[in-house]
Amino acid sequence: MFNFAFNSLYEALYMNGHGLYVWSVVILVFLSLLGFFIGYTIKIKKIKDKLNEPN
Amino acid sequence: MIKKFIHQFASPKTYLYQVDRFYSYIFLFSIITYIISITWGLLYTPEDFVQGNSYRIIYLHVPASFLSQSLYIAMAISSVTYLIWRVKLAAYLVIAIAPIGAMTTFIALISGSIWGIPTWGTWWQWDARITSTLILFIMYLGLISLHNSFSNHEKADKLLSWLVIVGAINIPIIKKSVDWWSTLHQSASITLTDKPSIDPVMLYPLIGSITGFFGLVICLVLLSSKYQIFIREKNKSWVKDYV
Repeated sequence: MFNFAFNSLYEALYMNGHGLYVWSVVILVFLSLLGFFIGYTIKIKKIKDKLNEPN
Repeated sequence: MIKKFIHQFASPKTYLYQVDRFYSYIFLFSIITYIISITWGLLYTPEDFVQGNSYRIIYLHVPASFLSQSLYIAMAISSVTYLIWRVKLAAYLVIAIAPIGAMTTFIALISGSIWGIPTWGTWWQWDARITSTLILFIMYLGLISLHNSFSNHEKADKLLSWLVIVGAINIPIIKKSVDWWSTLHQSASITLTDKPSIDPVMLYPLIGSITGFFGLVICLVLLSSKYQIFIREKNKSWVKDYV
């Protein structure tokens, strides 16, 4: 069950011609998640700073 | 009695403190589960006999598709809660969930299109499943734009809640589209009633990736709802004490 499915790192990246499709989806998902996490963290920080400002 | 219970446990203040209490645990569990499951699925499962290695997109596409529909159901439940019991937090949740729902639906559509190229020979087909998912994406965007176009938040919350409830009709259509119409999209591999049609070697990392992605999306919803609370309750003294 936990055997590496490829013979080399190159094979894992190339995936018999399907690597471009698979890895582009991986990048899409990770960038979307990262973007949203960073975006909300910045938004919350900004509004907290604004609320902390003395009137 | 239900009203009293809901109001007691769904006050924005209580919610915010509970978010802070549980957020890091949920995030840590989800990120570890997701990374392990994705690595397992992408690199340690055998190649599919029919689809070759392109099937590995399943570990990213299925969690996103599942969440795109689940988040809409969560919005519909929050809308009903808001309209019946007038729970402010439920209205905040509706608008907090919408951008995350749009993001997961976008991932589902794009990853499905990319998967379609090696599998179907086309990146797009106007079939029932894909079209109804595109409608879901447009609905999410429409709801966000509509809410942002109102200066009166309360009016916007009411209208949005009604629209979300009406739009919920699309969810069973998406779910059943592969059974009701002849589509390029395959039937569900995992259902609550039948035995999964996918081999356990491929199934376990899929369950892991769904669980991990679900947890991460929950974390995003918690952050988004926290932001909504700050925006909407900024004039309350407890918010100033909190920050």
